[in-house]
Order: sequence, then structure tokens, then C-alpha cells
Amino acid sequence: MVKLSRRVFAQGASLASLLASLPAVAAGKDSVTIGWPSDVTGWDPNQRFTPDAQALYKMVFDQPLDQSPSLKLIPNLIKAWTLAPDGMSLALEFRDDVRFHDGSKMTSADFRWTFFERVKSGQKLDIANSFRKLKDIEIISPTKAVMRFDSPAPTVPVWLAFLGSFVVPKDYMEKVGLEGFAAKPIGTGPYKLVEYQMNGRIVLERNEDYWGPKPKLKRVVIEIIKDPSARVAAIQSGSIDLTVGVPVREAERLGKVAGLKGELNPIQRVILLQVRNDQAFADPNVRLAAHHAIDKAALSKAFYGGAAVPLSLPATPGTPGFVDGFKFAYDPAMATKLLAASGFSPAKPVKIGMATTNGQFPNDYDMARAIVAMWKKVGIEAELEVIEYAKYFELNRGNKLPETTLYSFDNATGDPEIYAGYLLNPKLPFSPWKDPVLGEKVIAQFNVADEAKRIAGWRAIGQEAVTMGACMPLLQSVQTLVRKTDLAYSKYGNGWVLGQTMNW
Amino acid sequence: MVLSFARRLAAVGPILLVVSLLLFVALRLLPVDPAAMSMPPTATKVEIEAARSAMGLDRPLVEQYAIWLGQTLHGDFGTSIHMRRPVGGLLLETLPATIELSVAAMIVAGLLGIGGGLALFALRNRRGEAVAELTTTLMMSIPEFLWALLFIFLFGVLLSALPFTGRLDPGMTRPVVSGFLLLDALLVGRPDIYASALRHLLLPAAALGIAFAPPVMRVLRTSLVDVYQEDYIRQARLRGVGEARILLAHALKNAILPTLTLMGVQFGFLFGGSLLVEVIYAYPGMGNLMVDAVRNADLPIIQAVALTYCVVVLAITSAVDALVLLLNPRLRA
Repeated sequence: MVKLSRRVFAQGASLASLLASLPAVAAGKDSVTIGWPSDVTGWDPNQRFTPDAQALYKMVFDQPLDQSPSLKLIPNLIKAWTLAPDGMSLALEFRDDVRFHDGSKMTSADFRWTFFERVKSGQKLDIANSFRKLKDIEIISPTKAVMRFDSPAPTVPVWLAFLGSFVVPKDYMEKVGLEGFAAKPIGTGPYKLVEYQMNGRIVLERNEDYWGPKPKLKRVVIEIIKDPSARVAAIQSGSIDLTVGVPVREAERLGKVAGLKGELNPIQRVILLQVRNDQAFADPNVRLAAHHAIDKAALSKAFYGGAAVPLSLPATPGTPGFVDGFKFAYDPAMATKLLAASGFSPAKPVKIGMATTNGQFPNDYDMARAIVAMWKKVGIEAELEVIEYAKYFELNRGNKLPETTLYSFDNATGDPEIYAGYLLNPKLPFSPWKDPVLGEKVIAQFNVADEAKRIAGWRAIGQEAVTMGACMPLLQSVQTLVRKTDLAYSKYGNGWVLGQTMNW
Repeated sequence: MVLSFARRLAAVGPILLVVSLLLFVALRLLPVDPAAMSMPPTATKVEIEAARSAMGLDRPLVEQYAIWLGQTLHGDFGTSIHMRRPVGGLLLETLPATIELSVAAMIVAGLLGIGGGLALFALRNRRGEAVAELTTTLMMSIPEFLWALLFIFLFGVLLSALPFTGRLDPGMTRPVVSGFLLLDALLVGRPDIYASALRHLLLPAAALGIAFAPPVMRVLRTSLVDVYQEDYIRQARLRGVGEARILLAHALKNAILPTLTLMGVQFGFLFGGSLLVEVIYAYPGMGNLMVDAVRNADLPIIQAVALTYCVVVLAITSAVDALVLLLNPRLRA
């Protein structure tokens, strides 16, 4: 036991206070402190789908394939891939120079373990749902493997760069077990995890043996600060260097503070109204009138400083599912006319229910209220109810959602299947639209292997859905980000903020 | 009093049992499906039903309660739905931080409360009394989360005097011995970590403690007024004992007892109040865990945290009862 005299202790404490008051000096310019709004659910990256944790995992683990800042699918651990014309298999070639943080080599056996053996052994992993069609992974050599599917799986390459798809070490996991791995995880990523306190702090140190471009910053500290006001205060006081998810007005205000830069970055997250095909919305006139009555540009201006792009399709500009020139007009006169054709007017409004989250994404509840006000002018009276985001799926499964729900859908890949396909597939819990006419087309489109036909199909489905009022896309979501002006980082179209791309 | 204390101790078990039953039933009545919540959105109905069966949610409620209670008594709080980790481990990881914060907040509340109570007593029937009363009312009417934000703005942003996120400065590695950071810093001989942890603790403890100080002030003031009516105070004055000595050595000793009892009761509220303060200060305690659990309808965590709150409150109440018994010989007669 170390014994301390009171004097020594007091001297040490004073010195520590002095040092602690100068964190920026102590940290130097070889590190960065990020204020992040949420924690990882655990350090098994395959286990739970949490979009906000994806960037955190990407610093420690590597994905088989990656995305460029413009979201193009690019090689990563896999250096070449070939999808069979029928979409029934995917041949993969891995890099030969990748090592896990313990020095062991990453091979195709680790890939098979991650995506096949772990799932088959009964481990409860969310990635099992991403690769449902996977029949087996055949190992050809340590650097070659073939994924085989029981039905066409054209989007598997995309999924290999999406949620939860990170390669984990087979030998190490078998040696330390799941709990051992969660306590001391290793990956092949650009940073090693050196300290973690749940809901507190993540400390990462540069992986000096990283196979890819070596990160410029040696140390990345992630402070988990869930309260937006505290994140604002932390960046303003200088105790953190970068943060995301602050209120739009605060991002704009902080952007005017000397030494700080505020950004409103459009990302691959769409805000839309998910729609039922029954109750008051069984009438297409009511659905279309509801859509025509929404002034999306006004919503963007009021809640996102005009940075959120108004959408007419469930896809964002620049992604394959987006159709230039397709517009669903803001036309309150048309809305009034459609409602009148069904016997409704402001004096005799049609009554509907509307669900919204409150705090799930910036200004969600206020936006819902604004939409309700817009509808009232044309003759739609909506009763607003607040739901928890986590309950959306359960309510939808139980057929308990009201006519429409204000919803935010994240698709880091930008692939149209994950937009229109997931949002409109009646068999998935994302879509409250259960009409089989559109539903059968959507389900069939999942099996189209030819890339050109696949994309064209999803574009057509997106337009058809909007034209018939099966969904009402509103805005491309915006990520608010505030950073010190001398901190540079790579801006990803899907909102990833990665320590390995930062430098002073 | 001794008998009453013994009775109260004996009631702890049944109270916990009733609380656990109420908690279990209340959470099961919520319109939430833990099986569905435990699965990814793309899970099929068949997979959700399989999860429901595996979690025992298809059994009668009484059977579910009996299973849960049996497991809880053996220290098995189940597995978190959202995080898929054993809840017991999550509690062990976060409880020390919350206890540390609550104790620090109680010290703040105690110091402010006793100091303020003495000041209120000294100002009685004087010109400053109205101002002092107004100040305590103001302190009491501002909730702890607002204090938290005010302190962040004042001491964190405006003056840059104190840190307001987490438990340690960046660059410092948390020693893990008992989970109580201040204690661990001493155990590993790291005064720098101790100082940093203390500085990080100041604002959340003050925000949490300040709202609880006014009732202590008022009870102490009233108790002192009552005690000053006693004969022994008059006798002390006749013996020529100074006013300061009368107050601190004679009156306070007796007046503090109801104050202590109040502080014991308040600790429960204070412990509960840590929820929002922990979130605002990014303090990695049990409150932070609970807020996430509520957001994700993570029933096993909600049950375990709520039960832990109950156990801690009962333990503190019992400890305060014992302390009062120890300090007051008349109660032991």
C-alpha cells in the first residue's frame, strides 16, 4: 500500500489541478476530443444495429468493404469482389497484409467466422438479419472465399459496408469468449481501444501497424455527452474539439463564435411521412391532398436553416434511386380540390391520426405540429400523438400506428433497395403500407440481380409509391456539426465522423 | 425507539418484496413488447415469438414473477434487451459512480443546509430574515437540472473554472479497483487523478445538492428555535456561557437530530434526482443507464435499477435511524 503524507498529497493535488486546467496544452495537437451524443451498446460490433455507433466502431474495426466520402462502394479488407450474374454467389479476394490488434493475421476464416459461423452457432447477432440469404461461405484460400446464397442477393456488397458488418477475430474470440471480447475488443481498425467507460468515455490510440493510411492523430478521446445543451457548452468552453447533433440554431450561433465553425450537412437520412393504406387514408384523394398541402421548403427553412433538401422521393439527391426532374408539388389549391372531391373542406375536415417522435431527430415534434397546421388550412384535422422511436416497429407489427407517422430513416449506403425497398416492403416492420398491389412489386424487386434493372426498378417503385400516396417524402435530414476551425476532417455523405480522417 | 428500529429493520424484506411485485406488474402492464424490442427491426414474427418463448414471456405472469424473483435473489438480474449484456454487470459498473455523486451531493446539501440553517437562525426577527427566506424559497423552487445547466454556463463556459463532462480529464486513465473513483485514486496513489475526479464531481454534486439544502436549513432553524425554549439554554446563559458556545456546543447538538432524519429521507430523493444530472454532466452512473433503459424500454434494466434505488434508500434510512439512536441517549432508554 502506498503511503502519502498530507503535504505530498496536497502538492500533488495542486500540481494536478494546474495540469488539469490546461487540457489543451497537455493534449497537444496530436489528439482530438469529440463530444458524441450516444454510446456503443457494447464492443461486439456485429451484435446490435445502432446507426450512431457505426462511426465509433469504424475507428476500431474494419468493414469488408467501405464507402468513400461520396458514398461510393470501395475496397477495404476485400480488395476485389465479383457478384455472379444470377446474384447467387459473391467471390471475394481479401488483402494479405491485414493484422488484428494482437498481431494475428486476418484471413478468410475470420470473415467466415464473423458472417456465418457466429450466426449458425446461435449467437444473437443483428447481422444475422442482414445476411438471411447466406447459405454458406466457402473458403478457397486464406485470401479467397465465396459467399453462396439461397436466392439472388444483389445488395450483399452494399451490406458488407453497412450496419454491423465488421470483421472480428475468430481465434481471439474463441479463446476469450464473448464476454472477454466485449471487455477487451480487438479489431483490424486504425485505432486500438485503450479505455472505455460506459456512458462516459472512449479512448483510442493509433494502431501503428495499420494496413491502411496511418491516422494523423495519435489519440482520439470520445466523450459521451448525451445532453445537447451540455455538448453546446462543451464545444463553446473549448473542452471538446468537435461535436455533432446540436440544435440547428445553436450550430448557426456557434458558427459565428471566433475559433469555431458550425456546419449543417445534408446526410443520407430521409425524413418522411409513413402512411397506412386504410382508415381515412384508404381514400387516395385524402392521401394525395395531405402530401400536396405540405410546404417542404418552409419546413426546411424553419427547422433546418434551409439546409435540408426537400424531397419528392424516398431517396436523396445523388443516390441511384433519385430521379432528377420528378417533383411532387406543394399545391394547397390542389389539396383543397382533392379533398372537396371526397366531400371534405376546412369547415368539414377529414379526421386522421398522426404519430411523431419527440427528440429522436432535430425538431421532429415541432415539424409534426407545423404539418398539422398546414393540413388544417386545407381541411385535414390531425390528432397528434407522441411515440417512442423504439416502439415504432412494435406498433406497426400490431397494426396500431395511426394513418401517418413522421419518421426518420437512415441509409448510410444510399442504395435504393434500402430506401424504397425497406420503407415500402409490407413484410418488413418499416412500412405501414400493406397494400399487396404495390407490395408484391416491391418484394419481387428484391430478387432482381441485374444492376441496371435493379436500379431502374427501384426508381420506378419510388415514383409509383409517391404518386399513389403510399409514402410522403419530406426532407433530406441534416447533421449539425460544430468544430474548432483548425481541425480538419473528411465529410462523409452519410454523416460518419471518423478520427482517422482528422488532423490539425 | 430501539424496538421501533428493530421493527423497521425487520420490515425491509417485506417492503422490498412488495416493491418488487409492484414494479414487476407495473412494467408488465406497459404497452411494450420486450421480445420485439430485443430483436432487430427486420426480425420476422416467428423469430419474435421464439424470442418471447426464450425470455419466458409466454408463461403466466405469476410464474414469470417467481422466476424473476428467484433469479434476482441469486444476483441474476437478467440480460439487457438493448445491450444484450448481463444487467448485474451493468449495475456494478455504474452504481459506485452514482453513490459517489449522491454522497458528494449530500455533503454539499449538508454543509449548505446546516450553514444556512444557522444563518437563518441568526437572522431571525432581524431585517435580513425576509431576504434569507426568499433566497431559500428560490433555491428550493429551482429544480436540479436547471441548477445543472446554470452551473455549466457560469462555471464551465463563462468562467472556464471547472470541468463539466465525465469524471476525469482527457489523458487520464481511470484506475479500477472498487469503482469509487476518489477511493481508487487514493488506493493507487494518484493524487492527480484524485484532484481531477474531485474537480469533475464539484458541479454535478453542487447542482444536485443545492436543491436539497433549503429544507435542511428550515428544519434546522425551526429545531433551534424550539431548543432555545429549553431550560438548559437559559441556565447556560445564567452560567455566563457565550452565545456562540451555547449555539454550537449545546443547542446544535440537539437540534441536529431531526435534521439528520430529514437528510436520511432526502437522500432517497437525491439519489433519484441524479438521473437528469448525470445525463447533463455526462456522468457515467446508474441514472444515465436508467435514462437509456427507459428510452429503449429495456425492462430488465429498469427493474434492476429501480430495485437498487429502493435497496439503497432503505439502507440509508436504516443507517440514519441507527445514527440518530446512537446520538440520542434518550431514545435508547
